[in-house]
Amino acid sequence: MCQNPNNQTKNPSHFESIDATEESPTHRDLLWEDYQNLIKDMRFFDPHIHMVSRTTDDYQMMAKAGIVAIIEPAFWVGQPRTGLASFKDYYSSLVGWERFRSSQFGIKHYCTMGLNSREANNERLAEEVMEILPLFAYKEGVVGIGEIGFDDQTALEEKYYRLQLDLAKKTNLPVQIHTPHRDKKRGTERSMSIALEHGLDPSFVVVDHNNEETVKSVLDQGFWAAFTIYPFTKMGNERMVAVVEKYGPERIMINSSADWGISDPLAIPKTAALMKQRGIPLDVIRKVTYQNAIDAFAKSGQIDVADFETESKPDPSAKFHGNSILRGGQQPVMNKNSLLIQ
Amino acid sequence: MANLSTNFSQFLFEQCTNKEREWLEEKVKSNFLDLMTAFVAAPRFLSKKNISYDSKSRGSLIPELTSFEVNGWNLVRLARVWLLLHLPSEPKEQYIKNIETLFDTAELNELVALYSALPLLSYPTEWLPRATDAVRSNMGFVFDSIALQNPYPELYFPEPAWNQLVLKTIFNEKPIHRIYGINRRRNEDLSIAVFDFISERSAAGRNVPISVWMLISGFTLESMVPKLFLMFKSEIQTEKQAAALVCYESKEPKIRSLLTKYPDLELSIQNEDLDWSKLQSIPE
Ligand SMILES: [Zn+2]
Repeated sequence: MCQNPNNQTKNPSHFESIDATEESPTHRDLLWEDYQNLIKDMRFFDPHIHMVSRTTDDYQMMAKAGIVAIIEPAFWVGQPRTGLASFKDYYSSLVGWERFRSSQFGIKHYCTMGLNSREANNERLAEEVMEILPLFAYKEGVVGIGEIGFDDQTALEEKYYRLQLDLAKKTNLPVQIHTPHRDKKRGTERSMSIALEHGLDPSFVVVDHNNEETVKSVLDQGFWAAFTIYPFTKMGNERMVAVVEKYGPERIMINSSADWGISDPLAIPKTAALMKQRGIPLDVIRKVTYQNAIDAFAKSGQIDVADFETESKPDPSAKFHGNSILRGGQQPVMNKNSLLIQ
Repeated sequence: MANLSTNFSQFLFEQCTNKEREWLEEKVKSNFLDLMTAFVAAPRFLSKKNISYDSKSRGSLIPELTSFEVNGWNLVRLARVWLLLHLPSEPKEQYIKNIETLFDTAELNELVALYSALPLLSYPTEWLPRATDAVRSNMGFVFDSIALQNPYPELYFPEPAWNQLVLKTIFNEKPIHRIYGINRRRNEDLSIAVFDFISERSAAGRNVPISVWMLISGFTLESMVPKLFLMFKSEIQTEKQAAALVCYESKEPKIRSLLTKYPDLELSIQNEDLDWSKLQSIPE
């Protein structure tokens, strides 16, 4: 992982393109604190974030910034897993502990289940994973098969991508496609044409990690186009604003893909603040930061907006059932500016 | 097949629409893999409405195990338990492997259903490690599913595990009177641990529900006298009542004699106006 934020040659989780260097980060300091008022009372849905790699502080900040629901796609944890049990434990954490931890901060947690493209290259293990995947795909709160697709664009990646498209059809779940970092344009086209070949309805398919080069084709073919706001790499939020200005809000959604890399779980609220400041209408902001993600993934039949739209906001004593991440008597929100730890 | 009674099936079907019943009946005709997938997929095909549970069905679903009750359950939980009871229990190794796989891959609601089914599964002692693990769970619903209104712990937990369950229920501020067998399995070790816990809490300026004194009753030690003395002096009526009940049930003459200073309390116990059930109003 890159220790020095000025060294941007690598950020290997979602965007490890070497040409990331061509874009220098601009160090104009627009302070987030100055912008929070712009999005007061807005509600956000992050359809792609890897909370398993994030901290409890992140959950607190996300809730405070208006994020009410998230989707955690099953993905690469940073090093290859060596056995089926690791996959089982990881998948179980997505529907178990992580879902529960999130609920402790009033954030509704959904996930998508899949075998990621990198690990599809370990055929022996991939076979075993495919056997248990149906048990996870049918679980409550699983809103799709994902994130699946290509990394190196190998034959094995294609094999397991196709098998998982079949599983998506069988379970009637949307698909969340991870598009490759290298040779992205061709990888994106290939992912889409294989999905169509398997008879998937493009309105059931979210193509992720788009950029200016891929967005038009994705939209033209009827797919959902998701954009990842990930620092130092392909998509910054100023460019995101320009994309929305150019293409409008239909079938476009924004996510953070925050994970174990240098990433920002507040990417959506920050982008919303920027859009607001640039004069983008509220209903457009709402679509790309909230509603479109819900519309796309609600096709799973697993999203009930009442779970996060009804204002039952924390009456901690009622909501935090005795047992929790909270040790005896702790309160879910603490004042970090206080010197006293009570 | 494990403990499946016709009462159970009948009760389940009464709660179902025709479509739901058809889905269930079809699933139990299939092989064990499809059955396991059905266990997982149940919420996609069944409503999550709460089942209607009246006094008529109380204790009658499994005639051999009248403490098995399903009040407060929803249809999915009920159906999941029912589906589990259709898993072929022979050969034993395969059966155990299948149940273990479901545990290993379960999300929260599935875990709740699995723990709820424990007293009905075949080879009940095989599930002891799972059940004691659930007591250690940090997830409230999972803990509840084993600790509250589940006959399994009373039937199969060894004493140390039983005591842990009770202590953790108190620690988590859950209603101890909803633990099956809480009175029947009182014991001296538990009494000492509970008294220590109460003392630790008072030292930190925190309280425990007054009803936990019931667990100390019958196993009193002389060292508890000062604390009981304080309780009799309390402004709070329920504290006095708890102290009186502890003294009344004590075999220690010294403790028993504390009560003689409070003849009105002693009288109401003798008249059966005061017993532990009066002190069980813990909010749930
Ligand atoms: Zn991802």
